[in-house]
Amino acid sequence: MADLLVADSLSKVYGEGDTATHALKGVSFTLAEGEFASIIGQSGSGKSTLLNMIGLLDTPTSGQVLFDGENTTSLGRKGRARVRNSGLGFVFQFHYLLPEFSVWENLTMPAQIAGRSVTAEEKTRTLETLELLGLKGLEKKNANQLSGGQKQRVAIGRALMNQPKLILADEPTGNLDTRNTATVYELFRTINAELGTSFLIVTHDRAVAQQTDRILEVSDGELVQDVRNDYAVGR
Amino acid sequence: MLSFRIAARFLKSSPGQSALIMAGIAVGIATQIFVGSLITSLQADLIDAAVGSSPHVTLRAEDGGAISTLFAEDAVETEPLISTAVAVRTLSAIYAEGEDSVPLSLTGGDAAGLDTIYKLSDKLTEGSYRLAENDALVGERFADEYGVGAGDQLDLLLPDGSVASYSVSGVFDLGQGTANERFVFVDTASAADALGMSDNECSAVQIQLTDPFASSEVAPRLADAFGVEAVDWQAENEELLSGLAAQSGSSAMIQVFVLVAVALGIASTLAISAVQKTRQIGILKAIGMGDAASGRIFLWQAALLGAGGTLGGIGLGYALIWGFSFAPVPFSVRPEPTFIALSAVIGITVALLSSVIPARSTSRLDPIEVIQNG
Ligand SMILES: Nc1ncnc2c1ncn2[C@@H]1O[C@H](COP(=O)(O)OP(=O)(O)OP(=O)(O)O)[C@@H](O)[C@H]1O
Ligand SMILES: [Mg+2]
Repeated sequence: MADLLVADSLSKVYGEGDTATHALKGVSFTLAEGEFASIIGQSGSGKSTLLNMIGLLDTPTSGQVLFDGENTTSLGRKGRARVRNSGLGFVFQFHYLLPEFSVWENLTMPAQIAGRSVTAEEKTRTLETLELLGLKGLEKKNANQLSGGQKQRVAIGRALMNQPKLILADEPTGNLDTRNTATVYELFRTINAELGTSFLIVTHDRAVAQQTDRILEVSDGELVQDVRNDYAVGR
Repeated sequence: MLSFRIAARFLKSSPGQSALIMAGIAVGIATQIFVGSLITSLQADLIDAAVGSSPHVTLRAEDGGAISTLFAEDAVETEPLISTAVAVRTLSAIYAEGEDSVPLSLTGGDAAGLDTIYKLSDKLTEGSYRLAENDALVGERFADEYGVGAGDQLDLLLPDGSVASYSVSGVFDLGQGTANERFVFVDTASAADALGMSDNECSAVQIQLTDPFASSEVAPRLADAFGVEAVDWQAENEELLSGLAAQSGSSAMIQVFVLVAVALGIASTLAISAVQKTRQIGILKAIGMGDAASGRIFLWQAALLGAGGTLGGIGLGYALIWGFSFAPVPFSVRPEPTFIALSAVIGITVALLSSVIPARSTSRLDPIEVIQNG
């Protein structure tokens, strides 16, 4: 399978001098198209920092990120925004929906940001996504009128809307109960299987990581383990 | 246009705050329009009282002798700014009653011509507007003081010692004490007789312009063209003019302060709104919105607030002007369309300018700042 993502010696230093924190110390790995992987590690080990570099939300102090054959390090703010919009989907622990907008508007926002008017095909896909996420009938509701689990599912839907090649999820079920958590991972698996979308999921929960095909372990800013997990539940 | 839609939605999602800031702009713009229209109308009124019914430029011979009556027609032809030019024959006379005597200033001319300058036909309190041979029109104050009325005979002592007999056809009120006491209008022929002038001679040509303030530019031109002295009303009313200028100055100052207050109001509200929406901007940027587009959200917010506030302000301004028409003052305020247009442009411009800072800070925001701080 082709390389979708190459993380090459990623380092991140926050602050400078005596107070400098070396959050990442030269992390390198490669993610293939269609992979369903997780990143685990202790709190403060650098998982979010790593994910934010890969997601082009932050810039590494040194090292490079190659995404879909493109070296993103040389991209400007505009180019990075474009890749975030079209190539990547984000799901965070917090849903980050726009409270002023309806569910439907939140879902179509990535398409609108891309400068497209929402096509008939996209409308169908939005409806399918709503169906898939069990949100049918809620599209006209305001985003902040939903329950926590519903909000998180809308956020997942939004990450899917531009049909990205890679979805980055940082503790996506951190705020959800067991049942909702199970639903979200089932969803991820379905999307991965049906659309071939790659997933990189940050979690501190080994049980969750056990359900993914590949587990990357970060400790103190370094990649200490990278194992295939042939016993993943979803396999 | 996504920026516009997001801006509109942000405003709609906090209607109270949006309404408040629009009300602030509206009050500012309404104050501008009202004060501006008030001062403009007041000044127009004062100017009209001062020169509405008197000559703006008077042409006369430098030696005080006679000039050609043709100058009146020639002046109208050569100078497009002239609205009316009338040849008049002026002389002084004395009215005596017993011990009392009063010097009078006689203006002889044809009835229609004089009316274009003095609007006498509208200002008669008694009698009728007529200047046939030996007719005279006298001022209200003179008529009261000496018990002269329409139909009475009026004997005047001329400078050469002769006595001219007139019959009073009407009494006028020019709205000015001196004019109402001293001015007498007589027919043109008797004035020519008294002055010993031929038919095509007159002592002055009285001129009104479409814009009274053009006199300082028109007067020298006419003086050159006809080789006469051209008296400019502005040169003779410096006090009034400097008073008006001071008034305009203070009105401009009030308006500048109002604008500054409006600008500060919008700027601070937008700054607060930008802070309130930092999270949303961060989210939008995380899912790929560009810096410029996200900055435009605040420009659009400002434009919408500015336009809404300005429209409200124009409505409120008109309402104030309308309300003022019931106030017991001797003049009316007219809405000034050019001034209103100017206020609208200024209102929206000020709104846009005050959005520059929040728009800039918004476009600089990094999505990671929002994502990391939860
Ligand atoms: N903006 C920042 N400024 C300074 N230090 C930071 C910043 N963000 C993260 N760090 C530091 O970098 C290190 C890694 O943080 P990171 O958020 O990546 O940890 P994490 O593995 O995601 O932890 P958790 O499981 O608690 O989310 C930590 O020591 C943290 O204190
Ligand atoms: Mg984290």
